[in-house]
Amino acid sequence: MEKIGLFLCTGCEIGAAIKTDGLESLAKKGGAKSVVMHPFLCSEEGVAAIRKAVDDGSVDSVLIAACSPRAKTAEFRFDPLKVSVERIGLREQVAWSHPHGEEDTQMLAEDLLRMGLVRIKKNILPKPLAETIEKTVLVVGGGVAGLSAAKAAAGMGHPVVLVESSARLGGSMAGVKDAAPEQPPYGELHKNTIGELISAVQGNASVRVLLQARTVHIAGQPGQFTVDVESPSGKETFLAGAIVQATGASPYDATKLGDLGYGLTPDVVTSVDLDRMIAKGEIRRPSDGKPPRRILFVQCAGSRDPAHLPYCSSECCVTTLRQVAAVHRDLPGMECAVVYRDMRTPGQMEHFYQAVQEQPGSMFTRGEVAKVEKGPEGNLVVRLKDSLLGPDAALQADLVVLAVGMIPNSADSEAIRALRDARVGAEKGDSDVQRAHAAKVAEELAFHEGTEILNLEYRQGPDLPVLRYKFSDSHYICFPYETRRTGIYAAGTVRAPMDAAQAAEDGWGAGLKTVQCISAATRGEAVHPRAGDISVADFSLQRCTQCKRCTEECPFGAINEDVKYTPQYNPMRCRRCGICMGCCPERIINFPEYSVDAVGSMVKAIEVPDELDEKPRVVAFLCENDALPALDEAAARRLSWNPWVRVIPVRCLGAVNVIWIADAMARGIDGVLLIGCRKGDDYQCHYMTGSELANKRMENIQETLTRLKLDSTRVRILEIGRNEFDRIPQIFAEFEKVIEETGPNPMKGF
Amino acid sequence: MAPLADVFPSAEFRDDLAGRGGATAARCYQCATCSSVCQLAPDDGPFPRRQMLKAQWGLGDQLVNDPAVWLCHQCNDCTVRCPRDAKPGDVMQTVRSLVVEKLATPAFMGRLVAKAGSTWPLLLGAPFLFWVLVLYAVTGLQVPAEMKEYKDVVPHWLIYAVFFPVAGLVTLAIFPSGLRFWNLLGSSGRRSGSFVPNLVPVLIEISTHKRFGSCDAAASRRWGHFALLWGFVGAAVTSGLLLLAIYVLKSEMPLPLLHPFKVLGNLSAVLLVVGGAILLYNRLVGGDRTGSSTAFDNFFLFVVILVIATGVLTEVGRFQFQPALNTWIYILHLTVVLCLFATFPYSKFAHMVYRMLAMVHERMTRPV
Repeated sequence: MEKIGLFLCTGCEIGAAIKTDGLESLAKKGGAKSVVMHPFLCSEEGVAAIRKAVDDGSVDSVLIAACSPRAKTAEFRFDPLKVSVERIGLREQVAWSHPHGEEDTQMLAEDLLRMGLVRIKKNILPKPLAETIEKTVLVVGGGVAGLSAAKAAAGMGHPVVLVESSARLGGSMAGVKDAAPEQPPYGELHKNTIGELISAVQGNASVRVLLQARTVHIAGQPGQFTVDVESPSGKETFLAGAIVQATGASPYDATKLGDLGYGLTPDVVTSVDLDRMIAKGEIRRPSDGKPPRRILFVQCAGSRDPAHLPYCSSECCVTTLRQVAAVHRDLPGMECAVVYRDMRTPGQMEHFYQAVQEQPGSMFTRGEVAKVEKGPEGNLVVRLKDSLLGPDAALQADLVVLAVGMIPNSADSEAIRALRDARVGAEKGDSDVQRAHAAKVAEELAFHEGTEILNLEYRQGPDLPVLRYKFSDSHYICFPYETRRTGIYAAGTVRAPMDAAQAAEDGWGAGLKTVQCISAATRGEAVHPRAGDISVADFSLQRCTQCKRCTEECPFGAINEDVKYTPQYNPMRCRRCGICMGCCPERIINFPEYSVDAVGSMVKAIEVPDELDEKPRVVAFLCENDALPALDEAAARRLSWNPWVRVIPVRCLGAVNVIWIADAMARGIDGVLLIGCRKGDDYQCHYMTGSELANKRMENIQETLTRLKLDSTRVRILEIGRNEFDRIPQIFAEFEKVIEETGPNPMKGF
Repeated sequence: MAPLADVFPSAEFRDDLAGRGGATAARCYQCATCSSVCQLAPDDGPFPRRQMLKAQWGLGDQLVNDPAVWLCHQCNDCTVRCPRDAKPGDVMQTVRSLVVEKLATPAFMGRLVAKAGSTWPLLLGAPFLFWVLVLYAVTGLQVPAEMKEYKDVVPHWLIYAVFFPVAGLVTLAIFPSGLRFWNLLGSSGRRSGSFVPNLVPVLIEISTHKRFGSCDAAASRRWGHFALLWGFVGAAVTSGLLLLAIYVLKSEMPLPLLHPFKVLGNLSAVLLVVGGAILLYNRLVGGDRTGSSTAFDNFFLFVVILVIATGVLTEVGRFQFQPALNTWIYILHLTVVLCLFATFPYSKFAHMVYRMLAMVHERMTRPV
């Protein structure tokens, strides 16, 4: 930008913390066209002053040196197509966290101003995306979650196509008579309302239901997906703006539960079988068709067991409670015993548990089933272990019900892609060894063949990525509806184990997310977490070396490849995290307001005092999602840290290009800190893999340092939680000590 | 423990327990809060979780021979802290009533007293009718013109003729029950040592209520029970001393107010009134700290309170009331005392024997 207007607020203690006299000449020297100081910049009057300068064309970019970019966002929002805005957090990073009037505080403020000025100078105005956006929502799966999603999206005025693979709607709740209690005091069975939900969806003119159908191909990006569906009525193609995957879960295969007596006699059944009996009104022993007198329920049948399902399916306990209540209602006087490891009753279901426990004929006891044997009178004897009644406890029962867990109906996208790559490698590999290795991998992964569900045309695989235990992707710690495929939302039991009430809520949420996504696409804006961002990445493809790093590392699969591995960017899949910019070794990927050059220039704008001054300098790249809010919080609580640190907010730790560290080292800066969100299985990274990738890239950074003959201790990467603001001063103090031990950067003054 | 062929809950046992006020056992989810907070439970045999479990599973046979059922003093520390409101204190009390009934000799008396909620008119009416008829036959129910001594209403020989045989019968009845209980206890653990040397420390412990003292939720009940126990002991001793005064010392009756025997008797009466008042107050306003009131519990307390009340009125009223009123108060007093005596092996009163035996058994099975 050329006509930079610097607006400096002196309120909120900023005026008291720094001397403002010399700042105007500093700003002019740094390229500012005008400098306005205001004691209360976010007041109507202050904002009006900025607006006037923008409107009369005297400035084309506004540098606001006031509070953190996270504060006063409504006040300081201007038309992004007309004016570029950058913020400098003088309040948090200077006035609230450093002693007023000191030389080091002044140097800190001046550095921040210089950095802000070069940054905004490099900004260019974004070009708006103007695409035709399809409003239709595709829902894959017609169970509780899918039906709820369809109802929600249709209710918001969107046409919906619901694709269901079976011949009927309702999923696993169809054919179940009762539902767990839904109202206080949570003691009574509720009617299963799936029938009403199905009628509501079928009766909605905006919803088209395709039964026995599957999605054979989906290409494109949010707002512009092209969907091919095959059904008995033939193949059809339509456009969809966003997608809900609600393909549900299947009960665990009981034939693997021989230990628990399944297959011993027909009288060992699963909870699914019992639900069918209850629905038919005929609770009978399969062996002789007589009503049982005693039913024994085995909880965690194949769940929380490394040999079967290592996880808890979270709803089997409530299913059993529901069934015990139904049995007592339908066959009074029946004895029901439940053998459990831990009764797990999410939400209000503890009340239901207590109510069922108090019904005459209910018995709940902790223990594990050691063995199921045929009993003396054609019944069954269940021997317990780890029960509270000593080693030999046993129970006789006429019917044994195994409460089985659930397996998500998901497709392991990454494995399918690996299989496809291996198949290609087995044929076209460069050497015999490579071909043989690829053939072996292909064989190992062969069982993924034909498991595709969505059939996405994405470079990273045809479906949503899966998490632990093959549940479909979800940012489950912080934003459970978000997935790594923009505009495609997983809902219901395919995403996490849950009961029908939760699945309904999940479906509603996902349905509303599709509406949100389509509406953002219509405005050309990014969705979560940079909601409202209209800038898109720019690829200078003439310099691309087809290294595939961006296409591999984009967490959102936004970048496809052509046959020559040239990246093909899909802006509406993009979340603007900048991870591609961070990984590109050629630095050809940049955003109009966030580029390798702009941030590099900020690093270079830092004044580095002479070694003899004993004023070390540290650049801290802080992720704007968790680390920067934590720093702001620390400042708001008046915590203080050393004045050597120069904070540069970044969109994600994955968006830090290694060149910036090299720039900092070359500049004579003594150390670089990278502070990002939590990584690992329980990641909190808003872009899922950014923090993880940054850690991997540390290896490259170490390499760079060695090349520059520098100590590797000068660069440190850290994780922080949004709530760990108290660690901020500590982190900076510890790093100062490390730098002190390492000594000043030998590149100073070069 | 013998292998359990089948431990499916016995519906009969469960209904029996529920009918006595132990239905809350079903709520237990075996978290063991009760056993952790119980001050009385020994580390090597914590209760009442296990007993809750047995109650829930309907293992009545295993509860009858369980000494822990009797080591519980129903402080209700467990009930107060139970997260599920399963009221282990109540369940233990219910189980005790069940054991008393199960071991009763003769069995029908056990059933009769166990259902005191509905049979109390009979339990109180029969002794009343008995006294009225006997007195009618012996004295024609004459009301003396001036009340000097109660022997004018009921001759001493008649008192002996009724209460000595009743005491003998009651002893005859409680003895086999106690013996059966002692043998059942024996099946739950190996004892070492002999009975009497272990009985002495138990009696000392009972006399100080040391164990009761570690209760938390119902701390005041300890002192109520303590006063009541010593009040009854004092009253019994006084009765013995009176026999001595009448037949050996040939003292002139009634004794002067400051006579040592009289003082002891009045002191006992004060203890009984105080103890009875504390227990009654607890029962009326104690809530969870006292536990739910079952008919089994209430009947016993009711009779004890009546014995105390009529006893005090008998003494105080001698110079205050009309002779006719005094006569009937005295008859009522004899009625409730007879009821208390006669129901001893079948009412909550029997805990005296069962708890004492359980405590001796506990001492004898303690690891050395």
